[in-house]
Amino acid sequence: MIDPLRAATAIAGSGLEAQTVRLRVVAENMANANSTGKTPGADPYQRKMVVFESEFDKALGAAEVQVKGTALDDTPFEVETDPGNPAADANGNVKMPNVNVLLEMADMRDASRSYEANLQMVKQARSLTTMMIDLLRNT
Amino acid sequence: MGPVNLFDLVSRHVSWATFRQTVLTSNIANANTPGYEAQDVKPFADVLQDAGMAMAETSPGHMAPVDGGGSTLETADSGGYETTISGNSVSVEQELMKADDVNRSLSLDLTIERAFHRMILNSVRTGT
Amino acid sequence: MLVTGIGGLNSITRVVTPGSSAAPTAPAAGDFGKVLADVAGSAMDALKAGESTAIAGVQGKASTQQVVESVMTAEQALQTAIAVRDKLISAYQEISRMPI
Repeated sequence: MIDPLRAATAIAGSGLEAQTVRLRVVAENMANANSTGKTPGADPYQRKMVVFESEFDKALGAAEVQVKGTALDDTPFEVETDPGNPAADANGNVKMPNVNVLLEMADMRDASRSYEANLQMVKQARSLTTMMIDLLRNT
Repeated sequence: MGPVNLFDLVSRHVSWATFRQTVLTSNIANANTPGYEAQDVKPFADVLQDAGMAMAETSPGHMAPVDGGGSTLETADSGGYETTISGNSVSVEQELMKADDVNRSLSLDLTIERAFHRMILNSVRTGT
Repeated sequence: MLVTGIGGLNSITRVVTPGSSAAPTAPAAGDFGKVLADVAGSAMDALKAGESTAIAGVQGKASTQQVVESVMTAEQALQTAIAVRDKLISAYQEISRMPI
């Protein structure tokens, strides 16, 4: 893109997309913070993480952020004693998801803030372009 | 492409851009519709090429009909962003970015048209 | 561009206004036609450049800034040329009103 302001908007747009994916994953983790397995001894919900990647876009001449995918968190599961649970094994232990709600909340706040920052970039680029075009407006 | 009339080009581009806005708006409106695939129009360069070929066939007095290039809607490349299980492939952020770009180019088109129109009027007006 | 445009206009008015004391930088009567041709020529060039940049800008091949700059330059050059033309016309009318 020859126009740097357009490139800035496109890059910020890629940032916006990346942060929405991140928020969605955080929401998924939080909703499943207590989802155990269904059968005795089964694994519970495993925390997901988003993998971002910086990709250099030749058309823009700058690095955009791409969502490479989601990865599973390998932190070992917490074990609780709950003999009445359908997922309890022979000893009455239940494996709980490795989701820390406080961590997810912090992640959510960070993703929201990044989203707002990218959005601010887009608004700024737009207002600069409008000012530039307005130079031709009146006699 | 031979010598191009600026006003003619701007007029075609405005038609194309306003049509593209319509398509992008319907994409955003269908952001949650199952099975809906995001659509976009042919790039403006392709529209010009088609029009250029059409102009050569008809008589010089004819203007090729400007249908905004919407005669062929394409399914947009989702660009790596996922298609959900319900079959919906609309990324609201991408559509909004495209709409922002179309707005900018429309604004530029109209301002260019106004500026050149003003220049022609000034040169025709007598100042004495 | 702005400065040369105004400078061009300035030199024309000095030559055309009767009875003015010729400043050292004022062109001689023989260069009058050349100055006219220069002003008109640079206006035409600026207009052509402005139009082609605008065409490129509409197609997305030029940046917004380039388009705005070249169209502004074209407009300034055109206004200068128009001012010159108007001044010439009014000078001619004034001369033609002079009693023989």
